[in-house]
Amino acid sequence: MTLFTIVTRGLIRRPVRTSLTLLGISIGIAAVVALVGISRGFSQSWVNGLKARGTDVVVSNMASSLTPKPFDASAVSRIDHLPDVAATCPILVDLMSVETAQMMMVSARAWGGFSWNNLKILAGRMPHDANEKAVVLGSTAAEMLGKKVGDPIQLDTEELTVVGIVDGNAWVENSSVILSLPVFQEITGNQGKINVIDVRVKSPVSDPQVQSLCRQIDKLIPEARAMPAGENIANSQAYRMVQAMSWGTSLLAVIVGVLGVMNTMLMTVFERTQEICVLLALGWRRSRIVRMVLWESALLGLLGGIVGVALGAVGVKILGATPAIRGLLEPDVNLGLLATSVAISIGVGIVSGLYPAWRSSRLTPSRALQG
Amino acid sequence: MKSSYEVDAPVGRDAYVFEAVGLKKTFDDGSVQALRGVSFRILPGEFVAITGKSGCGKTTLLQSMGALDRPTEGSLLFYGNSIPDLPDPSRYRAMEIGFIFQAFYLLPTFTALENVQIPMFEGNLPRSERKDRALMLLKSVGMDHRLHHLPSKLSGGERQRVAIARSLANNPSVLLADEPTGNLDSENARLILELLEELHRREKMTLVMVTHDPGIARTAGRIIHMKDGRIESDGGAAASGD
Repeated sequence: MTLFTIVTRGLIRRPVRTSLTLLGISIGIAAVVALVGISRGFSQSWVNGLKARGTDVVVSNMASSLTPKPFDASAVSRIDHLPDVAATCPILVDLMSVETAQMMMVSARAWGGFSWNNLKILAGRMPHDANEKAVVLGSTAAEMLGKKVGDPIQLDTEELTVVGIVDGNAWVENSSVILSLPVFQEITGNQGKINVIDVRVKSPVSDPQVQSLCRQIDKLIPEARAMPAGENIANSQAYRMVQAMSWGTSLLAVIVGVLGVMNTMLMTVFERTQEICVLLALGWRRSRIVRMVLWESALLGLLGGIVGVALGAVGVKILGATPAIRGLLEPDVNLGLLATSVAISIGVGIVSGLYPAWRSSRLTPSRALQG
Repeated sequence: MKSSYEVDAPVGRDAYVFEAVGLKKTFDDGSVQALRGVSFRILPGEFVAITGKSGCGKTTLLQSMGALDRPTEGSLLFYGNSIPDLPDPSRYRAMEIGFIFQAFYLLPTFTALENVQIPMFEGNLPRSERKDRALMLLKSVGMDHRLHHLPSKLSGGERQRVAIARSLANNPSVLLADEPTGNLDSENARLILELLEELHRREKMTLVMVTHDPGIARTAGRIIHMKDGRIESDGGAAASGD
């Protein structure tokens, strides 16, 4: 028999209460996994999309909305000539309701721009020219909308034709409706406007080079901001808000977990007052009693964490499949997030056990002999 | 049985396992006086019964001897060392004293074998040795056939036998028993008393037993009778006072 045996026996003796406490922690940790996974997925999906397009620098004004603010398409000509710029591709991107999909990424790219190059035709073809009233659908988007090559598709008030299904080698790309820039500018009334410039830098590219280029672009296009691909979304106010909300909600869930475990451990200490006094009378040191209570609460945290990350991982899959989220982002639930969540849960257990452990260590052993 | 305190203590007063002089204990800011100047000496290997009616202070005295409570006044020595001033009272309780309670106080979710091992955590014994020693102790109290039973599956007499085995876990020099037969029928009470007497004889242990029953007290070699927080009579070999 070890101290661990004593600790586990303490939890097993009240199976219903232990299970309910575990459930409480698990739900809290599942919320952490799901919310953080989704907010990280939001960023990661975007970064993967940029990588797939071969974009090194993104010029946009993310401001406080989910999509960048439009600016004049002529801005491209101000940076085309820069010596480190290999290519540019003006884009007008929007999140909009497309037929049955509540929110879908619509990405209109300058005809012939490098941002078309990553798209591999799975079925059909690419648009014939910049003005053809046609779209290609990423494979996931086609599946979500139930479209095949030749089907009509309603974008805003305009009916276009699906001419191809493509694989864009990234979740965001595969979940997008992709079309030629002038067609979408006309549909949305944004003639002459774009809201993103994808920039490819001449290789070999070093980080300082990219940073230097960004500073140059910022001077030339003051209405937008140039950032290395991957950093732009993380710096957007919208993403920061999503992230703050996810961590805020997670913090609330964790606080609820702390209170739940603390309540359970206090109940345990109150119920086992006589038992703890007997242990003290038998010569157990107060430090060992404290360790026993802390191990119990930490074990509750560990088990709650394990169940919580399992629930969270399943929950994220379910959330990712809901119409509101499906196709917009790929939840990023990686091993690091799962390990962090379990560590948070163990921390919740230990913190929750501190006060009950302190209470238990204040008991006087003479109470064991009373009656 | 030798105590580590016996080895370290200076010669003289340390010949006594316990020496109490003018021991007082008050509760509730002095309104309740449980002990009102108790003095006595107990030699190694004595079997002492402390008797008296309920509320006479005998359990308070036993708690003070076991470092479970601190006297308000007076001195209480264990082999010449002041019990209230022990640097490590937990170690004293774990290694020098074996407690036997009236209500047994076995931990309900642990088997007999596990209950006996619980005090051994402070003895730094390896796990396998803890188990072997617990087996040996349970065998010595005739409980080797009930090793894996929970306390709820044991009779009162069996529970007290397990509690006695537990009190011997760290090979203490003194056993302090608080009404050890108080919750038992007469037959089981007789068997437990016989077991305690045998331990006292065989192991040469100092045994201090609190009881309100004069018949049970007579099994001891010395009877200290208490009344209203004072010693009314002490028929002891190492009687109080110099």
